[in-house]
Amino acid sequence: MHGIAASQPYVIAVFLTWAGLMKLLSRRMRAQAGQTALARLTGAARAVPVLRLVGLVELAVAAALLLPPVHPLDGVAAALLAAGFLAYLTYAYVAAPTSSCGCLGTHSRPVDLRAFARAGVLLAAGLVSIGAGPHPSLAPLVLLEVVILLGLSAELDRYWLTPSRRLLVRLRRPLAAPPPRDVPLETTLHLLRRSPAYCSASARLTSDVRETWDEDGVRFVVYGADERSAVFAVPLSGDDPAAIRVALVNEAALA
Amino acid sequence: MRSRRDLLKSAVLGGGASVVAATALGSLGPEAAFATTAPAIEPGTPDPNFAEGRIRSIKENTLLVLGSNMVFHTIRVVDGTSLWKLGPVGFDQAKPGDGLYARGVRMPDGMLAAEAVWLNIVNIKGHIKNITSQTIHLDHNGHDVLCHVVAGKSVAIHSESPATSDLSMLKVSQHVQILGAWRPDTNEVDIATVFSPH
Repeated sequence: MHGIAASQPYVIAVFLTWAGLMKLLSRRMRAQAGQTALARLTGAARAVPVLRLVGLVELAVAAALLLPPVHPLDGVAAALLAAGFLAYLTYAYVAAPTSSCGCLGTHSRPVDLRAFARAGVLLAAGLVSIGAGPHPSLAPLVLLEVVILLGLSAELDRYWLTPSRRLLVRLRRPLAAPPPRDVPLETTLHLLRRSPAYCSASARLTSDVRETWDEDGVRFVVYGADERSAVFAVPLSGDDPAAIRVALVNEAALA
Repeated sequence: MRSRRDLLKSAVLGGGASVVAATALGSLGPEAAFATTAPAIEPGTPDPNFAEGRIRSIKENTLLVLGSNMVFHTIRVVDGTSLWKLGPVGFDQAKPGDGLYARGVRMPDGMLAAEAVWLNIVNIKGHIKNITSQTIHLDHNGHDVLCHVVAGKSVAIHSESPATSDLSMLKVSQHVQILGAWRPDTNEVDIATVFSPH
């Protein structure tokens, strides 16, 4: 139990150092400060100074946690910071649901469940560390907690989540499907819309596709054109838009 | 039905008996494209020949639609009306709860005689979060949209190349635009076309 409590300052310090350094050093983060929920809270002009101040506080608390002597106030400060972090996330979620939180780096993702989970774990770690005494810490536990917290960090997704998903997609090929027996209608329409025949008739079309059927290797597509119908004949094989023909037919006169 | 289609076919392909009132050409020439003048609508006023909203009820061939601005529209669908729901469909496919865009001619009694109705059509941009079995998980401004690949219907257009039914070129984290049909009251969409920049 003492070991668990004694391990927490290291976990929190890792994250506070990361957060503090990012806020103080990352030029991109300052540039994007105007788009975070912080700008909404403090006003866009004060977002950068507030960001720097928070960064300094985070580094100071991280230093206090790491450097001896061990004092319960260190844990209290960390817990307060984590509680403030959680409150800020809640504010961002409610007041600026489309803004990113701008906590540990640049990404444009709004606040989600993972962000709350990370803040919750940090708060719990802070509370546990209040009771920390001068005991040796458990290195595997520190490592496990750090890995869990890193996994909850959307800022790092592009380094591990996106590549691993890409790898899975390459191995499993989830969208691979046998080629359909018929040419999809959208394929025909894409070709049709680029054809001289369609461009010349498009100003007269008043409806979308009314009817379509295949016959003798040709797909017929019928559009409404005021009282008339525009009939297009699209060859099913080949992709030359110039081969498409059109006729404007007065169906009432035909009947 | 057969004979009507045969007539349309011979009109466009030029074979068979001569067809009255038909202009069968490779294309109609540039003058045709500019033949119609732009509709006279005051800037800033709503287009009277357009309606959007969700279907509240269907009575015979008339749709009662509640617009997103809480204005009711009555939309009449006739034989010549085109209906789209992931492709051309019949009137029986229109269901209460479906969202729609409709274009047509406003009648003096306020009813819209529809020329074209698009049911549940959506056009969303975002980046691909993940790809699983026949579905694309799209992140659209932080909102998850589950996009289903429909066999025989969904196509992908990579850059300028022709539309292909092979969607396996899509990659996780790339940006796409998806045109599709929303499944009402869900965050799910059936894909008509995926536009990919590369």
